[in-house]
Amino acid sequence: MSGDDAILEVRGLSFGYDREPVLRDVDLRIGPRDFLAIIGPNGGGKTTLLRLILGLETPWRGTIRWPSGIARGAIGFVPQFSTFDKNFPLRLRDAVLTGRLGRGGWIGRYTRADHRAVAHTLERLHLGRQADVPVAELSGGQLQRALIARALAGEPEILFLDEPTASVDVETRQVLESLLAELNQRIPVVVITHDITSFAAQVKQIACVNRRLFYHGSGRLSHADLAEAYGCPVELIAHGVPHRVLHEHAGDEAAAHE
Amino acid sequence: MSELLGLFDYQFARNALAAALLASVLAGTVGTFVVVKRLVFIAGGISHAAFAGLGFCYWLGMPPLLGAVVVAVLAALLLGGLGDSRARSRDAMIGLLWAGGMAAGIVFIHMTPGYAPNLLVYLFGDILTVSRRDVALLAALTVVVVVILVMYYRPLVAVAFDETFAAVQGVPVRRMTTLLLVLVALSVIMLIQVVGIVLLMALFTIPPLIALMLAQRFILVLVVAVAAGLVTSTGGLAGSYWLDLPSGPAIVLFGTVLVAVIRAVLWLRQRWIAERAADTPA
Repeated sequence: MSGDDAILEVRGLSFGYDREPVLRDVDLRIGPRDFLAIIGPNGGGKTTLLRLILGLETPWRGTIRWPSGIARGAIGFVPQFSTFDKNFPLRLRDAVLTGRLGRGGWIGRYTRADHRAVAHTLERLHLGRQADVPVAELSGGQLQRALIARALAGEPEILFLDEPTASVDVETRQVLESLLAELNQRIPVVVITHDITSFAAQVKQIACVNRRLFYHGSGRLSHADLAEAYGCPVELIAHGVPHRVLHEHAGDEAAAHE
Repeated sequence: MSELLGLFDYQFARNALAAALLASVLAGTVGTFVVVKRLVFIAGGISHAAFAGLGFCYWLGMPPLLGAVVVAVLAALLLGGLGDSRARSRDAMIGLLWAGGMAAGIVFIHMTPGYAPNLLVYLFGDILTVSRRDVALLAALTVVVVVILVMYYRPLVAVAFDETFAAVQGVPVRRMTTLLLVLVALSVIMLIQVVGIVLLMALFTIPPLIALMLAQRFILVLVVAVAAGLVTSTGGLAGSYWLDLPSGPAIVLFGTVLVAVIRAVLWLRQRWIAERAADTPA
């Protein structure tokens, strides 16, 4: 994590949907080249934290700042599958074009530059041939890549992905890994996942969210950390390529069991 | 057939056809957004609430549609303002506006001295009573609605497709939904003339349902929905003439049969394709 040139700064964030807080006193800084994995148990508040950062919920207390001045439309966001109707009558091309709306000016039609950017993004995600296919007819992996294409079409300055490996085929996994590594050379990437192993090779920082946020700047975390976050002992093996084991926080011995 | 064509020597028949055409443009475009955004019952609440304004103006001796449009727009702003986060109170509010609007409208008309022959017209519609002035008003409103739809086409589609993503992009989701509901309110006023308050939900839902079965691109869905609306309204009108039925219900029933027939044809075709695929050795 970098010092003063933070992209995103979350301070003392508390929030809940009813009276019970879902998140309490969350602090988080994201630097320009961070690759942060946000992990934690179901219902621990991962997605809620993302919704707050994206401005979809208003915090009870605390602040969310973008010190480098990222505008709202410059935030790339890849949602989980379930947020929209898969049978909506749109071609892949048109669905991805909606990712250009964040660049402002939504009266009238898409420009030629919009269409060019979308064509380029589709090629990048190996979807060039599916451009005119209705969204309803895409496979799970293609749809996942389509959502990423939509987020990238707007040329974002930070990218958030919510459970991007929930349903991926081999092609999607490969495209995703190389693409995220490439993107991360320019912009910070934040991945929410219950499956840390799928990004083990790229993740630089880890945050465990279970009502509170436990930050591990080194990208390594121990059993004790995880047990604290999940409230129970957790097994720690990463099946990334190259194979990697997550280490103890203070440079202790490898913390993996079979 | 020639007898039917001969009808167009009459002004009332030409007015009816023009009204059907304009209603199809509205029902097809606004209705498609209503159906894909699942706002059908909100549209129902708005149209039934409009009956209160209609009755009120009827009682005062003012143009009833003026009252209907004011109350419909107010109901649209109210329901749009409640938003998805208060879905439960919005759902209940729809019921309240629906029944309350009808009750108030009926009471106002009851209080109006003399016989109230127009009540049934507003409830079930009578396209054959549409006047030339009505057609001009409908045309003006149709132009306004279509221009707004064209201007805000991109954010409206984005919000209909994926509200959360649109919000992240900075699109004012709540305002777009409210805009759509106001367009619904304006459309409702015209559709009241064609099929009446009770049956106008059919014109909002039948053409988009047909279009969603036949087209897979949003812009094509809109075009097919307008065409389907035209087929439904003119076909129903012809049926009402031949079978001597009231025009509103005839339009709605014809559209319902059309949906069922298209659904059945698509189902048979799918089965035929599947059987052929099974017969062909791999």
